[in-house]
Amino acid sequence: MPRAAGLPPGTLSLLILRVVRQEPMHGYAIAQKIRTLSSDQLSVEEGSLYPALQKLLANGWVKAEWTTSETGRQVRSYRITARGLKQLESEQDDYQRMADAIAAILQST
Amino acid sequence: MNTWLRRVWYLLNRPRHERDLIREMNEHRESMHDPSRFGDTHRLLEQSRDAWGWNWLDDAVQDLSVGIRTLMKSPSFAILATLILSFGIGLNLTLFQMIGVGLLQPPALKDADSWVRFLRAAPGSTTSTVPYPLTQFVKENNHGVLASVVLEYQSAVAWGRNAEDHINASFVSSNWFDEIGYGAAHGRVLSETIDGPAAAPVVVISYTFWRNRLGADPNAVGTTVYIDRKPVTVAGIASADLPGFDFNVPDAFLAIVQREYFYPQSTLLRSWDDEAVDMYARLAPGVSVAAAREALRTTMQAAAADRSQIKKDEWLEPLSARSNFMRDWERQGVLAVVSLMGALTTLVLIVAAANLGNLVMSRATGRVRELGVRMALGARRTRIVRQLVIESVPLVLMGALGSLGFAWTAATLIAALGGFPPYLDFTIKWGTVMLAVALGLLSLVVVGVLPAWKVAQQQLIEAIKDGGQHVSRALDRTLMRRVMVAAQVAGSCLLLIVAGMMIRTVQRAIASSEGFDYQRAAVLSMPLGRYGLKTEAARNYWYEVKARVLAHPEVESAAIVTAPPLGGRVNETNFRDTPGLRTLTQSVDPEYFDTMKIPLMSGRTFAPGDERTVIVSRRLAMEMYGSIDVLGRAFPKSGADDTIIGVAADAHTIRPDANDVAELYRPLEVADFSYVEMVVRARNEADRLPPILREAAMSDPRVIPSAHAMHEDFDRRMQGPRIASAIASGIGVLTLALACLGIIGVVSYGVALRTKEIGIRVALGARQPALLRSIVRQVLRPVAAGAIIGLALAIPTGLALASEPFYLENADPVAFGVALTVFGAAIAAALIWPAMQVLKRNPVDALRHS
Repeated sequence: MPRAAGLPPGTLSLLILRVVRQEPMHGYAIAQKIRTLSSDQLSVEEGSLYPALQKLLANGWVKAEWTTSETGRQVRSYRITARGLKQLESEQDDYQRMADAIAAILQST
Repeated sequence: MNTWLRRVWYLLNRPRHERDLIREMNEHRESMHDPSRFGDTHRLLEQSRDAWGWNWLDDAVQDLSVGIRTLMKSPSFAILATLILSFGIGLNLTLFQMIGVGLLQPPALKDADSWVRFLRAAPGSTTSTVPYPLTQFVKENNHGVLASVVLEYQSAVAWGRNAEDHINASFVSSNWFDEIGYGAAHGRVLSETIDGPAAAPVVVISYTFWRNRLGADPNAVGTTVYIDRKPVTVAGIASADLPGFDFNVPDAFLAIVQREYFYPQSTLLRSWDDEAVDMYARLAPGVSVAAAREALRTTMQAAAADRSQIKKDEWLEPLSARSNFMRDWERQGVLAVVSLMGALTTLVLIVAAANLGNLVMSRATGRVRELGVRMALGARRTRIVRQLVIESVPLVLMGALGSLGFAWTAATLIAALGGFPPYLDFTIKWGTVMLAVALGLLSLVVVGVLPAWKVAQQQLIEAIKDGGQHVSRALDRTLMRRVMVAAQVAGSCLLLIVAGMMIRTVQRAIASSEGFDYQRAAVLSMPLGRYGLKTEAARNYWYEVKARVLAHPEVESAAIVTAPPLGGRVNETNFRDTPGLRTLTQSVDPEYFDTMKIPLMSGRTFAPGDERTVIVSRRLAMEMYGSIDVLGRAFPKSGADDTIIGVAADAHTIRPDANDVAELYRPLEVADFSYVEMVVRARNEADRLPPILREAAMSDPRVIPSAHAMHEDFDRRMQGPRIASAIASGIGVLTLALACLGIIGVVSYGVALRTKEIGIRVALGARQPALLRSIVRQVLRPVAAGAIIGLALAIPTGLALASEPFYLENADPVAFGVALTVFGAAIAAALIWPAMQVLKRNPVDALRHS
C-alpha cells in the first residue's frame, strides 16, 4: 500500500491523522484530500486507506460513525480523538527530526 | 477504552464490523472515476482484519478443524492415540485422586486441624491404646488444653437373638458424633445428654450395614436388635459420609458408658491394667500439639502419683490429624511410597507421550509435500509449527477427557475391590481436572510441539521435487525419534522390574506364611473378660475347653495365645536396641509352636512355672545381638528384664506383608486368660473345625464363642497386596506393550520408506538375514541404549525399594532373569516381526509397481 506509492512505512497513518485533524471525514474524502494537498504527488492505492484506518480505530486514535454526506449518501466518517492528537504530534515530531537529519546528510559536502 | 478491550469488543461484533467495512469500501469504489485503482477488496479486507490482531484465531480455528477432520478420517489412529494418552495421563490422575482422598488429607472431621490421637509413651516404647480410667483422669485434669476427649473401643460382638452372627462394633464415648460433626441419616445419633450409663441402651447402625444387612429398611429405627444376646433399641442410622478415624467404620456404634449392660462383669471401665481404648481429643483453641504434650506431662505425673500402673516417666504422645494421626516416620513412609508411585506413573506418561509423539511424527512425514507447498506459498516455519501443534490439540483433548474417565473408573474399581469405606468420595474434583489439563499441555509438548518443530526444521520446499522422500528419510533418522524409542524401552524395562519386585513381595508374604501353617488351622475366640471370667476362673475355663477340643478326633493339637496369627491385634514396640524394627509381642502356651508349625531353632518351648522368660524370633536375635546364639542372655539387651530360653524361626504371623517386624513370645500369665484366643490344628480340614470348637466352648451359657478357619483371615489380609501387585503387573505389561507398539511403528515406517531400496537389493540377490540386519540396525541402537538405561535405573530403584520404608522384595537372579527374558523376547519380536512381514511380501513386486 503506502510502500507501493513510495511512502515510507507508517507514514500513511500520519497523513490520515493530519487530514482528519481539522474535521471529521469519510474515506473517499480523506483520499481526495491527501491527493490534493500533495498536488497529486502521493497517489496511494486508495483501498489501502482502509487497513490503515482499521489500525487507527484499533489503537483508539480515531472514532468512526455513520453520517449523511452533503450529497445525501450514508458515509462513515472518522474523527480524531484526544489520544489521536497526541499520537499525531509525536509522530510529526519524529518525522520532522528524521527528515531534518536526512536532509542534513544529503546537503553535506 | 483499553486497547485490549477494544479488540475483544471488535471480535465479539466482528460480523457487523466487517459488513460496515465492505459497505464503506464499496461506496468508495463506486465514487471513483477509475475503480481499478482502489485495489483488491479481499486482500484489503484481510489486511484490515490483521490490523485488529485476530487473524491467528481464524488460522487456529481452521487448523483445529483440519485436525478434527484428519482424526475422523483415521478413526483407528484416533482411538489408539486416545487410549495411549488416557492410560498415560489417567494413571497419574488416579494416583492423585486416591492420595488426595485417602492419604494426605486429614479425615473429614469438624475442626479437623485441632484433632489429635494420644499414644501412651514411655522411654523406649509406645503403645497405641490406653486404659479407660486414664482417659477419664485426663479428661478431668488437662489444665484446659483439651476441648474434648473422644474414645473408641473396637470389638467383635455377636448379632442376632441367638448370636448366630458376628459383627464389628465400636464402643464409643457418647459425644462421638457431636464432636466429629456428623448426624444421623435416620433417627438420632448417640448423645452425651441422653445416653448416660443408666439410660436405656441403644445402638446406632452404620449406613453400610443398614443398607447391606438390614435392606435399607426405613422402619429399622426404634426396633429391637440383639447384641451379644442382649436386647437393644436402634436409635438411628449414621449418615453415609461418616468418616472413621482410621479408615475403619464399624457396623454398629454403642455407648461405651453402657458397656456394663452388655457385660456386667467386665472391668474395662474401671481397670487401670487394660490398655483398651483408642483416645482422641480436640485441642482447645490456640493450643499447639507440642504445648498439649508438655501440659499433659503434669497430668500423667499426677496419675502416676495416684496409680501404680502409670509410671512416672510416661507421657501422652499426641499425633495430629493434619498428619492423619501418623507418627513422623509413618508419614515419611507414606510420602516416600506416594513419591515413588508418582515417579512410576510419570514414567508411564513419558512412555505413552513418547510413543504417541513418534506416531504423530510418522504421520507428519507423510505430509511433507503438502507442508512444502504451504511454505512455497509464503508460510513461515513458525506458521507450520503452529499448524501442526494445533492439529494435535483435538488428540490431546480427547486423551485428557479419556484420562478423567480412566481415573474415575480406576479409583472406583480399586475402592470397590479394596472394600474402601463409603465416605471416601472418589468423584472427580476440580484439582484433578486442573491436573488433567496440565498433563495434557505437557503431553502436547511431546506429542505436538517437538514433532512439529522437527518437521518444520527440514527443507520442506525441496520435498515438492522428490515427493518428500528425502525429507521423510531424514525425519526417520532424527535423534529425537531415537530418543523417543530409547525412552519407551527404558521406561518399560524399569516398570517391568518394579512390577516383578511387587509380585515377589506378595510371594514373600505367602512364603512367610509358610513359616507357619495356617492352612489346617482354625481360631476360637471368646473374650471371657466381658463375662466376668478372669484370672483363675478364665484359665480354668480355657483349660477345660482345650481338653474338650483335644479330645475330638478331628483335632491334632491346640494352643492358647493372646493374638492369633493373621487376625490378632498386638502392641508394637520399638526397642532402643533395634530402632528400625517393630517387635510384636504375643503371649503363648507351650504347644503354640507345635500347633502353628513354627520350628524352634534352638533352646526349648515354655514350661509350666516359667517366669521372666522369652522366646525371640531369629530376626530379633540377629538384629539385637548379631547372632542367634543367644540362649540364656538377658532381654532386651539394654534393659535386661528377662532371659531368652529359645529362638524360633521367623514367622510373621501378625503382619505377614510387612518386612520390618520381628516376633517376641512370652509365657501366658494368669491375667492374660480374660482375653486370649485358641488356635487349633486339624487332622484333616480346617473348615470342619469351627462348629466343633463352638460346641466345645459353650459350657457356660453366658459365653458366646466364635470360630473360623484361619485361611479366611489369610485371604482377607492378602487382598490388598494382591490387588496392588496385579495393578503393578498390569501397568508393567501394558507399558511393555506400548514400547513394543512404538518399535513396531518405527520399524514398519522405516521399512515402508525403504521399500524401493529393499526391492533393488532383493533383485540384486541380497539374502534375507542380511536385509533383516540392515532394517533392524537403525532401531537396534536406541533399543539397546534404552534397555541399558532402564537396567541402570533399575539398580538404584531396586535398592531404594528394598529398603525402608518400602521393603519390596529384591528381585532374585532367577526372577530378574525371567523379567529380562520376557522383556527381551517382546522387544525382539517387535523389532523383527514388521521387517519379516515386508520381506515375506517380496519387495520386488513393489519395485515393479513403482
